[in-house]
Amino acid sequence: MTDYTRELTRREFVRLALGLGVGLAAADWVWQSFRVHNDPHAQAEETSIEGPYWGMVIDLDRCIGCHRCVYACQATNDTQEGHLWNILIEDQTTFEKPVFITRPCMHCENAPCVNVCPVHATYHRPDGLVEMDYDRCIGCRYCMVACPYGVRVFNWTERSDENPQVGVWGTPEVQRRPRGVVEKCTFCAHRIDAAAERNLRPGYDRAATPACCVICPTEARVFGDLRDPESPASRALDGRQSVVLRAELGTKPRVFYLLPRA
Amino acid sequence: MAAVRRLNPFWIWVCFLIVLILFGLVSAFQVFMYGLGITGLSDGVPWGLWITLDLSCIGLSAGAFSLSAITYLLGRETYKPLARVAVFIGLLGYSGALMALILDIGRPDRFWHGWVFWNTHSMLWEVTMCITLYFSVLLLEVFPMVMELPLLARFTRIRTLAHHIHRFAPVLAVIGLSLSLLHQSSLGGTYGVVIGRAALFRATMPLLFIVSAVAAGMSFTVHITLLVQWVGRRTLVPNAILFEVGQFVGGLLLIYLYMRFWDTTAGSYGYVPGRTEADSVLMRGPFAVSFWAWEMILGGLLAAILLIRARFQSSILMLTIGSGLTLAGLVANRWHTTLLAFTQPLSTSPALTDPLVTPYSPAWTEWGTAIGVVAGLTLLFSLGMRYLPAFKGSAQESTSLPVRSTNTAQESA
Repeated sequence: MTDYTRELTRREFVRLALGLGVGLAAADWVWQSFRVHNDPHAQAEETSIEGPYWGMVIDLDRCIGCHRCVYACQATNDTQEGHLWNILIEDQTTFEKPVFITRPCMHCENAPCVNVCPVHATYHRPDGLVEMDYDRCIGCRYCMVACPYGVRVFNWTERSDENPQVGVWGTPEVQRRPRGVVEKCTFCAHRIDAAAERNLRPGYDRAATPACCVICPTEARVFGDLRDPESPASRALDGRQSVVLRAELGTKPRVFYLLPRA
Repeated sequence: MAAVRRLNPFWIWVCFLIVLILFGLVSAFQVFMYGLGITGLSDGVPWGLWITLDLSCIGLSAGAFSLSAITYLLGRETYKPLARVAVFIGLLGYSGALMALILDIGRPDRFWHGWVFWNTHSMLWEVTMCITLYFSVLLLEVFPMVMELPLLARFTRIRTLAHHIHRFAPVLAVIGLSLSLLHQSSLGGTYGVVIGRAALFRATMPLLFIVSAVAAGMSFTVHITLLVQWVGRRTLVPNAILFEVGQFVGGLLLIYLYMRFWDTTAGSYGYVPGRTEADSVLMRGPFAVSFWAWEMILGGLLAAILLIRARFQSSILMLTIGSGLTLAGLVANRWHTTLLAFTQPLSTSPALTDPLVTPYSPAWTEWGTAIGVVAGLTLLFSLGMRYLPAFKGSAQESTSLPVRSTNTAQESA
């Protein structure tokens, strides 16, 4: 008969503790592998990033294809014609209903571009946004090769062009980039950074929200902190089926698309 | 009469190369002046002819490390003359690769960033470090050969130094071998890790790159040696060695074809988004000639047969054609591997609206600079072959009758 009342020996204790630890780790691993990883809120909770978890939600049901987000981005970030940061693609649903997909940078949590840059010119900010250091970029364009979404554009020439959208859809808020470096959508990080100083909240206050979301006439594009259940982005996600582009790559984009109804 | 006699064919050749180099310089000036906007590259096809040139230069220089390893690590002293040619080709090849990269990057003034700002996760960072380190190894290996020039005889101290460096040849061979094994395969890795492009994202990429590089690098060395012997009417390397290397390359090519076969067919069962389209663009699309004719049939199968049979039949002609086809196959492979990735749409991404192939044809500036780089390397190579005592060789006795087991010809340097 085993005496369950006696105290454990040191050896038994160590064995038990180790066994429990390994068992728990294995159980957690099994549990994690069954979790659905496409859930935006879960993604916001799981990440190691502290503070707000910026995300953008694009409602394909609401988007009317007016191009305003494209123009506002071009004006605000002073991008070059033909090398836009935010583009619009026309497509159709299965039932031949027109659908307009706009595509900014996904600001992936597992960003292929960040991994491949030989000089760390593209990097994750502490808040998780993927940004460019134009002073460090050597222009090798490996990030353009690596980006699964084709969001990156190169400064092929010295800029001297006139921006047709300036004055109509906004004014440039950032400098033009020099010749020979790669650039891409920043989620208007300059607005997010300025917000902290001016006590504004990105997503709520227009001056602190990406230009493309501010201008959208149908509120198809909203921005905000996915950890904040009241933020416009979180509210837009509530009760809707969302998808990310090329989810199978495991890049964990921060741009979530709400599917059109049939 | 005297004027006619002074027209040495060598100097005509040099003048011809200088004209090409001038053309290259004009093109390079255009590129540096007006930026990459004047090339045929675009956001859709960010890498093109220059990257092909870079990859080909490095691939064809692989003879340097592999033949050095055979000579100094496996102790096959008879390979020494061939290894010296390979090392000289290697130094020039890597110079060409570095020139191509300087042209290709948008900010050539920041070429040094790779050494200062490290991203150890990046394949390209690894390649940058490796090729610059290996370039210095090659410099050290070639330095004693240059110091043998009678012109430099009065610099006795440097000569002694060069002699000491030469004694460390086995050490340099080990360092060169490690660095080369690293970057020759991680150049394939540069493509292999690109998860977003189905045409590239395959684990076999580094393996295919290094095997093809060793095969083509060795046969390039053999090919060039044969050309120099034919033009200069001298013997640099005994034919037996050349045939042996040729046969080895032939076997390596068969291994390469075997791996390529499984790599391609294993992915062809069922539909894989992007990958299936990529394979069809490669095999039936605009790259079909480059893939089937150059990489598979001429540069692969036929080259392997010729190289293996050349030794049995003692046929210099077969060896020359076979080794030439092998290097053409490598250039074709690097060309369509690079361009296939970009001309094919990003599978399910809405980034590209056009489901067809993105067009790319190199601009004249790209051709001009590429021709200039190749001409510059050829000029340096020609001068080296003519003047460096290491490559004096011995007067050729017979061009068509190779002697199997002679060691008399090579110990001249």
